[in-house]
Amino acid sequence: MRATVAETQGQDVGTIRQNVLVAVLSSLAGSAPTRPRRGAMASVSAEKTRWMRGPSTPLRGALLGLLLERPGHGGDLANRLSVRLGETWRVDTNDVYRLLEQLENTGLAASRDEPKRNNNRRTHLVYYPTEQTPEALTLWMETLLPREPVRLGLQAKLSVARQQDAPRVLIALKAYERECLVLARLVLPTDGSARSWTALCMDCTREAVYAQLQVEIDWATRTRRRINEFMERSQ
Amino acid sequence: MTSLLSFLNVSKRYPDGGRAVLVLDRVSLEVDAGVSVGVYGARRSGKSTLLRLAAGIALPDSGTIRFDGRDITQMTGGERGRLLRGEMAFMCAADWRANPGETVVDHVATSLGSEGLTMREARRRAMHVLDRVEIGAAGAHEPTIALSAAESVRVMLARALARNPRLLVLDEPALFPNLSERDGFYAMLRSAARERNMALLVASEEMASLQGFNVLISIADGELISTEARATVVSLPGRRRAGTERPGR
Repeated sequence: MRATVAETQGQDVGTIRQNVLVAVLSSLAGSAPTRPRRGAMASVSAEKTRWMRGPSTPLRGALLGLLLERPGHGGDLANRLSVRLGETWRVDTNDVYRLLEQLENTGLAASRDEPKRNNNRRTHLVYYPTEQTPEALTLWMETLLPREPVRLGLQAKLSVARQQDAPRVLIALKAYERECLVLARLVLPTDGSARSWTALCMDCTREAVYAQLQVEIDWATRTRRRINEFMERSQ
Repeated sequence: MTSLLSFLNVSKRYPDGGRAVLVLDRVSLEVDAGVSVGVYGARRSGKSTLLRLAAGIALPDSGTIRFDGRDITQMTGGERGRLLRGEMAFMCAADWRANPGETVVDHVATSLGSEGLTMREARRRAMHVLDRVEIGAAGAHEPTIALSAAESVRVMLARALARNPRLLVLDEPALFPNLSERDGFYAMLRSAARERNMALLVASEEMASLQGFNVLISIADGELISTEARATVVSLPGRRRAGTERPGR
């Protein structure tokens, strides 16, 4: 985002506005070239966060959560992932096998060949959590993932969050809400006098950005409220 | 540097049946001179309460609110009233009231009564500021009753600007009939604030209304989240969440 703003020097106002709008929309869609964030990540050894790189991190994180709930084979985990994340996610079983393999390579999952329940003569790989899995899941809950589609990352965290993760999820939701406000501030305002078709289209795009951000903020506040209410009831 | 407006650990509850609803929970916020702050929140999120506290219309249950270093919570009603008619202006579209038959220019001019001006001087200043909000000379001599919703918001703005306040507090300025009028109003508001180095504190349930503001804040369940670190809630371990609680607890 910062790069986009810096590159605007020397361009006309219309182009600058368009660039900022495109950058904000891209960021909402998760494809913006966002800058790496310092903070929680910097204080943790690179080794422990290596698995959090790449666009599949939300799925890997969610798989860790599912493994901690109970071990399972690839197909079972893919099904559970689909149910947990909902219809808006496209979970490919082959991807899940690949991600489980990656988690195993980093020591966050372990597999064992076990006989199938309905056919003892055949076996399949069942994945288990390792000693490092709980810590990795906690770390993921605490880590902002600026290179990912943030909302999807949050959704993935929520889908497998344990009750003890509530404070971390609340922090992540607040950080997301703040991120949305920051994005809203980046959009250059209009004076309401769109005199050309291009200016009108830009105004409509700007309206789309605000509408999207408003929905995101409303979702984050409602989610925080639900979690807070639940935590209060369970005290 | 002292902020123009500051909230420190401000809490506010409202009675709701047998319970007290915690609307603001130890909120801290600073607004500097000339800075525009937009507060976004859904209906009943606490926006209006925040703004009414800022304007000294309501008082907090606890915490301190300062305007230019002066503690509003320690002022008498009269002192707060004078502040609101002088250095500060509060505007809420729902509060639009004008005497039937009164002209637009007189409606603005009468708001300058506390400034010791003659009616002629007051009218001259009113005309100047009406021109600024694009209500021309012809419109200025129309009766207020003939104004459209969008025009009445502009006249309200003129009335607020006429006194050259240092802080303008706007609660849900209006729901404009069309988007270009809304955008035009906010563009005018921002530019008037810039010209006068006037701070703005504006609440809306529409994100798009807060375009171009220096600081954005969202408010929900008594908490504030801001683009600036200085507008924060004080998060203490075990803090009570905003919500309902029994009186006396």
